[in-house]
Amino acid sequence: MGGALSTSVDIALNSLVLGGVFLIVATGLNIIYGLSRVMNLAHGSLYALGAYAGYTLVATGLNYFVAILIAPIAVAGVGLLLERSIIAPMRKRSMIYTLIITYGLMFLLDGLIKQIWGNEPRFIELPALIRGTVPILGTHYPIFRLVTLFIIAAAMTGLMLLLSKTKIGLILRAASTIPEMVSCLGINMNYVHIGAFVLGCVLAGIAGTIAGPLTTIDPLMGHEMLISSFVVIVIGGLGSLRGAVIAALLIGVVQTLAEFFVTDLAMVIVYMLMAVILAFMPRGLLGEGRFE
Amino acid sequence: MTDHTTIPDAPKGISALKIAVILLIIAALALFPFVITNRFYISLVNEMLIYGLLAMSLDVLLGYTGLLSFMHNAYLGISAYVVGLVLIHISPTSLWMACLAGVFFATLVALPVGWVQVRTGGLAFALLTLAFGMMFHTIVWKWYGLTGGDDGLMGMPNPSITLFGWEIGNSGDPTVMYLFTLSIVVICFILTRRIIHSPFGAVLEAIRENEERAAFVGINVRRFKLFGWLLACMLAGVAGALFILYKGYIGPTTMSAFAGAGVLMMVLLGGMGTLWGPLVGAAIFIYIQDYISTMTEHWEIYLGVVVILLVLFMPTGFVGLGAYFKRLRKG
Repeated sequence: MGGALSTSVDIALNSLVLGGVFLIVATGLNIIYGLSRVMNLAHGSLYALGAYAGYTLVATGLNYFVAILIAPIAVAGVGLLLERSIIAPMRKRSMIYTLIITYGLMFLLDGLIKQIWGNEPRFIELPALIRGTVPILGTHYPIFRLVTLFIIAAAMTGLMLLLSKTKIGLILRAASTIPEMVSCLGINMNYVHIGAFVLGCVLAGIAGTIAGPLTTIDPLMGHEMLISSFVVIVIGGLGSLRGAVIAALLIGVVQTLAEFFVTDLAMVIVYMLMAVILAFMPRGLLGEGRFE
Repeated sequence: MTDHTTIPDAPKGISALKIAVILLIIAALALFPFVITNRFYISLVNEMLIYGLLAMSLDVLLGYTGLLSFMHNAYLGISAYVVGLVLIHISPTSLWMACLAGVFFATLVALPVGWVQVRTGGLAFALLTLAFGMMFHTIVWKWYGLTGGDDGLMGMPNPSITLFGWEIGNSGDPTVMYLFTLSIVVICFILTRRIIHSPFGAVLEAIRENEERAAFVGINVRRFKLFGWLLACMLAGVAGALFILYKGYIGPTTMSAFAGAGVLMMVLLGGMGTLWGPLVGAAIFIYIQDYISTMTEHWEIYLGVVVILLVLFMPTGFVGLGAYFKRLRKG
């Protein structure tokens, strides 16, 4: 070990992994906001739910890679239920009510998670195949982190293909620009809202399952992720997918460096960075001027 | 404050009956510790008053300016920590100086935070209150040397409360502290009501109703939002000073997101945009919390469910419920 090169390779790869997880969660949040104008404060809890679902699936003997496919579907199921029962009735009301009700939902989900899985931290058992390390430029990097990076890339590529190449993607993109027109063309906007919410939940579920082995799973993991993804989408610009990519990488790097050098107060540095960026660019890096 | 004299000043004329009712309530609250001498109930009502003041300060923001702050308790916490630190490390007897320092520091911290927040717009404002609130929570939680970290700030002295050289009593005495809290809360309520019903308050309400139109008639929206935010944080700072004098202790949980949601719920329970509604909401909330938390550890689930039900079925709170029945009776 040792050597500045191996340390910087470590930091660079860790930043990419962390930034990637932020990106997936923040993109889910961004899609729901862009299409339904709903800022879902329970999103972090859905992410935690994904992690716990992954944990339970792996603990019952399922392969980790199968769990990554099933856990997001479970989270999406919960999401569908929530959208129909709680989020949809808020559509005609002021934004403040949506924020407050999803905030309540966050505490409800966190409470239920504590009730079901308890307070003690959990760990996802990795399959033997990806448990070792691999030498890269003088450092021994864990294989599963590289696998995680690959899954993140695959998920984001899949999302981009869905949005740019399919008819569903076309409708979603159109609905994010002029929802009235989409509605006029005979497309039920209700399905668009449901689709956006479920898609966001799938992304939260994926992020939760891949974050499981990276950190410990505990009931508070959702809170930290919620705040981090806020920071990402506020810096990137609300509703901007490209902005979120840049911001996620930026925050990934800054947080990894801060955790390496100042440990305890790492998040404070991230918030400071956010404050400075917003002081000069109130709409974020690539804000589209769609602030409510 | 403003030269927009065309904006109708709307001081809702108080009838003599209303004044009588308010005076009666204040008198009842003032006599309360002499009738019921059980210290437990005195503390409970004292806590209701302090959180009532905090909820009222959030109402200035939420109900009048239309801005949402998820972690208003952060500013209560900052002020409480400063008051505690001044009393412990600088002067254990100067109560007023410590309180002024606390309120001043909470407002001072709120200034740059608010400056960034008002520039970003309504939704991002709300998200940023959460992010900055979490930041303050992390700082007091991890800065062990100054704040005592998880253990909280301990070893608070009990200074005596003096007014113009006249000693009223010791802040460690529950009855004295209760009366002190009551008088400060009443003063703050009257002042806030006055400010809200001034042209300044009308400008805030105009911003809440239609930000663009307010900007078109020449109101500097960002500046007034910042004033509203500072007023709310200053009042939260007053609540913080009262909080630590009453408890003699403050820990990071008081500044957590969970506690912040509680404050939001007090405002919702009482009804936003009424000032006195949140005071009622805080009383109900503290009572229920005290009652339920002795029975169950799953308080979080209850809080979530009640918030959801409130927003779904009773968005105007108890105050709104009263108006609803009044309308019903009139037919």
